[in-house]
Amino acid sequence: MHVIVATDGSKQSLAAAKHLKSFADPTKITEISVVAVIRPLASVAFADDTSDSKWPSSGSFRDAADSAVATIAAVFDGWGPKVNKRVRSGSAANEIIKAAQQYDAGLVVVAAGGRGLSDSVLVGSTAQRVQHYAPCPVLVVRPAPRKKR
Amino acid sequence: MPDTATVPRPDEQDSELKRSITGRLLFFYTLGDVLGSGIYVLIGLVAAAVGGAFWIAFALGVTVAAITGAAYAELVTKYPQAAGASLYVNKAFGNRPLTFLVTVSFLAASMAASGSLAVGFASYFDTLWSGPPALLVSLVFVALLVVVNFIGITESVWMNMLMTFVEVAGLAIVLIIGIVHISNGDADFGVLTQIDTSGDYGSPALAVLAGISFSFFAMTGFENTANVAEETIDPYKAFPRSLVGGMVVAGLVYVLVSMAAALTVPVETLASSDAALLEVVKQGILPFSTDFMTTLFSIIALIAITNTTLVTIVTQPRVLYGMAREDVVPGIFAKIHPVRRSPWVGLIFSGIVVGSLLVIGTLVTEAGGGIDLVGRLATVTVVLLLAIYAIVIVACLKLRGQDEDQPFFRANTPLLFVGLVGNLAILYFTIYDDPHSLIWCAGLLGVGLVLFLAEYFFGSRGTGSQTPDLKEV
Repeated sequence: MHVIVATDGSKQSLAAAKHLKSFADPTKITEISVVAVIRPLASVAFADDTSDSKWPSSGSFRDAADSAVATIAAVFDGWGPKVNKRVRSGSAANEIIKAAQQYDAGLVVVAAGGRGLSDSVLVGSTAQRVQHYAPCPVLVVRPAPRKKR
Repeated sequence: MPDTATVPRPDEQDSELKRSITGRLLFFYTLGDVLGSGIYVLIGLVAAAVGGAFWIAFALGVTVAAITGAAYAELVTKYPQAAGASLYVNKAFGNRPLTFLVTVSFLAASMAASGSLAVGFASYFDTLWSGPPALLVSLVFVALLVVVNFIGITESVWMNMLMTFVEVAGLAIVLIIGIVHISNGDADFGVLTQIDTSGDYGSPALAVLAGISFSFFAMTGFENTANVAEETIDPYKAFPRSLVGGMVVAGLVYVLVSMAAALTVPVETLASSDAALLEVVKQGILPFSTDFMTTLFSIIALIAITNTTLVTIVTQPRVLYGMAREDVVPGIFAKIHPVRRSPWVGLIFSGIVVGSLLVIGTLVTEAGGGIDLVGRLATVTVVLLLAIYAIVIVACLKLRGQDEDQPFFRANTPLLFVGLVGNLAILYFTIYDDPHSLIWCAGLLGVGLVLFLAEYFFGSRGTGSQTPDLKEV
């Protein structure tokens, strides 16, 4: 099975990748594609919060995406499946769905939502769209409730 | 053994997949960005300065801008990253204070542009519904754009293209009115060669220079295309064509629209109107009711202004984000909202600065400051951008012979010198004509200085690119 692990550079997407690793059977997974999507018309086209990457003076969002993808891919180092790193460009949900179709994915892993207000007020997130339109099952990893920690 | 593939698989058409901005989208992005700023707002001022021949001002202004665009195209194909002018100046001079000054000037120019456009928005809105005060309309407009940007609706390239089509449609209406007017045999072509020398500017050359200076706001905006440089497919081909091509098309539209406006409406009427292109529609030359046409045209103008303002409001937090990551402004501007992935602090800050400009401007006007807020903020934008354009052309010339291992677009060198002289001449005249605009420029640059000092005294180095607390995960 080909699994797509999507990252928007958030720490939650890193948590989602770790969550997949925590329960999935690596022998059933043939390949993992870590996919980051750069949003060209956004204020910040890509921000990497997953690693201690140095911000280059050229201000390359592509470098930020590459570094986030590398951090997530490193989670699966030595786990078994072959890991691909992919950076795409466009609308996040569309590109994740397209990637799923293109690689004939058996599962898409996305992180979703924050805690509290932002989650309930602002509907229409990437995860929601992926859930609705992906050609395969979707694992939406939600953040743990705050009080439990 | 794990096989962490760093090379893309051969079955993936990489160049197609990896980037999403095609040459065509880039063309519409340039066109939309340039066309929205100014022509709807400033045509009255230009007509007042020059007289019936004000199309000459648009033609010359857009020529200087298109040459500057060629310099941008050369640099962007050499350094296809999003940082724009700051990056080029840094590459060319390697002087941190200069880079900081250019970056802050760009930010200030963008903020002044947002302000000017917001006031322009309010004056067109007034023709639809004159209830709310103009200040309130412009403030709500800016606030809405900030929210829309935070949510991320602005990211749709199709939306961008659609808005550009609407913009062009609005200007096409003006052209059609002009053509109908001419074919009715009512046009007096003599008006197109009239230069008003009775006003403040004694000689025709000065009057035209004044017109260029006032119209130049309408030429700006193309520098924002650097925003999408990194995501453009085949930038070597796409940039020169789309950027310079977009400017040429915009210039052509401007010249034709100014001619149409001059032929159909008495210059005095244009000169005294806040929403000058509306006067063309109000002439009742087309066989539709004037009310209907006025409403339709106002809506189109509002969409055009919105399109351009959106790009400026997208750019400001981006610049702040870059500076925060480089530790020259407080690290809080590098904060990204965990879910929406927007630089929310920078966005709110931009909204507040632009809002303050509007409030201060309105207060000064009401206190009898005798300023025209649209014009003043446009002038501030133009002064700052002209300085940046001139520096970018110098940077382009200085970087010749460097980093040329990749294919890049080479702008015509003599033209670049013409462009440099043109930018400096317009800059000189603009400051000479309206020295008070320098106070506003200084005020805006002061905001950047305050941020720098805040980071210098209270910030800790490395906050911008600090290691996130991974334990939270």
